[in-house]
Amino acid sequence: MTWYFVSKCLTRHAHKPAKIIRYFGNAVSERAVFSRRTKAIQKKRAVSSPDVHVFDYLKSEASDMICDRVGDVKRSFPVVLDLSSNRGFLSRTLTKQDGIDYVVQGDICRENLVHSFPSQLPCDSVAFDEELLPYRDNSFDLVLSSMGMHWVNDLPGCFKQILRVLKQDGCFIGVMCGADTLYELRCSLQLAETERESGMAPHISPMIPGHQLANLLWGAGFSLVTLDFDELIVNYPSMFELMEDLQGMAENSAIVHRKMLHRDTLIAAASIYQAMYGDKSSECIPATFQLLFMIGWKPDKSQQKPLERGTVPKGFNINKSET
Amino acid sequence: MLLSRILNMRLITHNMLTSHVKGVTNGYPLIIEATEVEEKEVDFNPEFISRMMSRIEWPALVKAMEWIGKKDCLPEEPIENCEKDNDFLQKAHHALMEIEVITGSLKCPESGRKFPISNGIPNMLLNEDEV
Repeated sequence: MTWYFVSKCLTRHAHKPAKIIRYFGNAVSERAVFSRRTKAIQKKRAVSSPDVHVFDYLKSEASDMICDRVGDVKRSFPVVLDLSSNRGFLSRTLTKQDGIDYVVQGDICRENLVHSFPSQLPCDSVAFDEELLPYRDNSFDLVLSSMGMHWVNDLPGCFKQILRVLKQDGCFIGVMCGADTLYELRCSLQLAETERESGMAPHISPMIPGHQLANLLWGAGFSLVTLDFDELIVNYPSMFELMEDLQGMAENSAIVHRKMLHRDTLIAAASIYQAMYGDKSSECIPATFQLLFMIGWKPDKSQQKPLERGTVPKGFNINKSET
Repeated sequence: MLLSRILNMRLITHNMLTSHVKGVTNGYPLIIEATEVEEKEVDFNPEFISRMMSRIEWPALVKAMEWIGKKDCLPEEPIENCEKDNDFLQKAHHALMEIEVITGSLKCPESGRKFPISNGIPNMLLNEDEV
């Protein structure tokens, strides 16, 4: 009965996806891009694997860069909130020398918290969704987010929630994947699917470009917003190892309207990837992870503001004889 | 091999948690229904506790101690200029950092919805109809 239902769904026209939603996941609202329930299941499966530590490299690197930025800020942050903490990469690296006394870490997947790394700081864990922060206003000095915001459906709403729970002059430091992430995989799959199945469906998440992220942060009410971008290029033997690693680190697709990939399409995509982007000398393929680092502050009177119009004296001291 | 951490919810975390169920206007503080509570010694940091005094809700902390069954361990009102009162800071430190709830539940005062605590981790995830 179920397979008959699925085959009928897949032959329907693309403009009628209603039944496909019911089969592939539960959307919180009609406009949700990602299925949060599916993401939680994927995270649970990833952490249940005995070799989950093999896939930690990306998140570990991103967390280390976040901790460097926290150390660069010459302020103390007694109480810190860690959104989408995964297995506690941030609380593992943060110390009292960064000016932090206490960390609350959270993740949508309870199993991630149960298996999180030990921390030098007093650390409590709460299972919560980043889209709905269950904390009262003005609770935290610092909110951190490492590699979690690119799975959030309502990003403007999430930033407003973060601003709400921050204290006055509190800080938000985060990193998320940008629009150029995995562009090689996206292009290869699109070309292969167009060739083999005469159409294409989204398999890589839609991710935010850097300039739009700045607009969102300003729009949410953050001040002194600073962004910087970094690119991590990781080499793999082939596209299949890349996809296996994405699944191992729970970064596989959780789009509501995701579609199965046929075996022929995957094989075609792998050879397109090798031909278009592969390194002929080392016979490996690169995968790009564009990391967007953001820092924003909750507005406060003590923060520096632009000078009033007319404060700077006119002219640049040019001698009248030269004009 | 993954080592499971021993985690417990401290009252300092409970002081910040609130119910975020749709339609609830006053979901703070969450009522603690604890079945297993532990006391663990934590290094006393008087500067941290005096910094926390400005941001914790004292009445919620007093109620939390009552729900756990440790009434009268804390004064009803915080002392003014408590940075110099070491005895008060010690009591606040004991309440905030050393009392841990392992199993039980947190109940929303308005809607009655229970958020279970198991293995020391409160589960604040909402179902789709409550969002």
